[in-house]
Amino acid sequence: METMLKVEGLKKAFKDKTILSGISFEVKKGEIMALLGPNGAGKSTTIRNIMGIMYPDAGSIAFEGRQEKEIPRDRIGYLPEERGLYKNVKVMDILLYLADLKNYPKDKAKQRALAYLEKFGLEGKDKVNVEELSKGMGQKVQFIASILHEPELLILDEPFSGLDPVSQELFKDEIRSLADNGTAILLSSHQMNLVEEMADRLFLIHRGQQVIYGPLADVKKQYANFKCTILGANSHEQLASLPDVERVIRQGDKDVLYLSKDVQPALWMRNMPPELDIQEFSIDRISLHEIFIDIATDRNLLKEGREEHA
Amino acid sequence: MRNTMKVAKWEIMRNMKSKSFLIGMFLTPIIFLAFLLVPQLFAGSDDEGASSTVYVNDELGVFAEMEALVARAGVDWKVVQTDRPESEAQELLAENDDAAYVLITEEALQSGTVTVHTNDDTNTSLASEVQLLGVPLQERQIEAMGLTSEQAVALAQGIVFEEVTEEAAGVDDMASGEDAAFLERIVPGAFAAVVLLSIVFTGMAIFTSASQEKKDKIAEIILSSLTPGELMQGKILGYFVLGIIQLIVFVVLVLPVLVWRTDVPILEYLLVPELMLLLLIAVLGYWLYASIFVGIGATMADMSTAGNFQGFVMMLPFSPFIFVGPVFADPSGIWAQIGSYIPFTSPGVLILRLSLLEEWPWVEIIIATAILIVSGWICMKLAGKIFKTGILLYGKNATPGEILKWLRA
Repeated sequence: METMLKVEGLKKAFKDKTILSGISFEVKKGEIMALLGPNGAGKSTTIRNIMGIMYPDAGSIAFEGRQEKEIPRDRIGYLPEERGLYKNVKVMDILLYLADLKNYPKDKAKQRALAYLEKFGLEGKDKVNVEELSKGMGQKVQFIASILHEPELLILDEPFSGLDPVSQELFKDEIRSLADNGTAILLSSHQMNLVEEMADRLFLIHRGQQVIYGPLADVKKQYANFKCTILGANSHEQLASLPDVERVIRQGDKDVLYLSKDVQPALWMRNMPPELDIQEFSIDRISLHEIFIDIATDRNLLKEGREEHA
Repeated sequence: MRNTMKVAKWEIMRNMKSKSFLIGMFLTPIIFLAFLLVPQLFAGSDDEGASSTVYVNDELGVFAEMEALVARAGVDWKVVQTDRPESEAQELLAENDDAAYVLITEEALQSGTVTVHTNDDTNTSLASEVQLLGVPLQERQIEAMGLTSEQAVALAQGIVFEEVTEEAAGVDDMASGEDAAFLERIVPGAFAAVVLLSIVFTGMAIFTSASQEKKDKIAEIILSSLTPGELMQGKILGYFVLGIIQLIVFVVLVLPVLVWRTDVPILEYLLVPELMLLLLIAVLGYWLYASIFVGIGATMADMSTAGNFQGFVMMLPFSPFIFVGPVFADPSGIWAQIGSYIPFTSPGVLILRLSLLEEWPWVEIIIATAILIVSGWICMKLAGKIFKTGILLYGKNATPGEILKWLRA
């Protein structure tokens, strides 16, 4: 796959506070690359540097391999995290203005805008004033604005925030289909379940540093160890003494056993001591959500894993 | 540049489609005309009730003919017979709002010249309209005289009514000449001042527009398509054009009325080469203020949270008023010069001075214009720096300290 965006050694500091300490990643054509991280990790700063809204202290940003000074703005679609629309204008007017700023032909823009409005359930809203739209409708219009000019690179900063589940699905499907049609997509989000469903690759950033970078499947295989959740009256020591158990955490009336990386779930289950009290039993991989929480709260669960398997 | 034009076009279209802008655009000249015309209308209706009076001290007994003539002519003034002597004429006039006094004597008939006494309150057209009263006198002349050659000449002379107002006649002549010259200078100046004010007021909308960009949180979306500089320049240009559109509407609505209602040959005075320089000064003034407004607007979340600092900046276009008094007193004095060299007061003070002065101080004009250009350019650069950072600082007012920091960046 052709690389659309290449970020190398990006550094940015405000005063003495380092926001980004040399991060590097790529976004390829036709893939959804997720940029993840807790609040204040540096996601939006990274994106703003890519968009030329801020200038990096060090590092390079290249589009399609060319290290040009000029950002190809009309080939990028951007949905910022903090977003809105002019209030006292008609929906179609603002869509056409934003497309015009991207040098996209007006007739085509109008046609596409009408099609998208219909697709997102906003049929007939093209002549309505923006201020009359609900928040969700406004979000949809903003999303349409970011993809109207058929960008080759689409940067979405928290596209799902404030959306109801139905709209989330709608966005998700549209983003997926854009990627399938060859658009390179950089997506930042907090909604781990959505990222898990959509992303091809992910970049996890914490305190301006890369924590995880790679294809989603690999990441899950590499970092997401198995965990076993047991409901029953068992003592902490008893559970901790089981083979391949790295940690036991009590969550309500359940115990969560974090297993070591190389554990063979089938084998491990067969070796359960018979005296164990088991009312409910489940075994699965640690979810992206948990990895994320883990990093955000500095619980080192992942770090242990990384150190072990580094 | 292309993006700048797009932004400008958008701002123009957006405002032209907004009801409040359209209402404001048409309401301003209408209100202006109302202020101008309503008192005149009232004055006009007053005239009809108690129309102008011409007091006639008739020693020849032609009054009845005059009265009949005036009634036939259908003019809006009447003749009243009086026996007060010419020495009391001004007293009589002072007692009345709009009156004239004529003394019809044998000498007047002989010389063919009747003196018309008027004062400041006298309707200017009245003095000329009383020529009408010459007809019965002429008839009397013919009747009274035989038809010798001398008399024929006297007859051919006709009868001229000569106006004498309270002021001494000689001074009066000069004053009216000076009046015309003064108007000739003040008309282009006043027009330039209207241009400046009009576009500066529209320019204040930039202020709202820039902070609105923050309030609506659209700045980052826009900035993904163009540079902050382009956005800022587009706004400045767009609101300039809006100001001009507003001005054209104003002129189209107001100028014909002014030409119709006043005797001043406004168009003749207006369309002079000097107007170009005055307009240039007005445009430069707009450029300076617009740069400041767009920069400061970008530092504010919205108008209602404007701090003292921002409020102070908003007052800048009114700063020339500080100099109005001294400049009027002495248009080439030291205060007038200082006012011309301070960038913020320079446009207003220059326009005022050039309207008052007969001889233009070209060296001062060139220096002041140069200062204006340089400071406009500096302000735009500085505004660009503030705008770049400020526009993305959503939901927050910038402190003067922060603004200073951005300027240094």
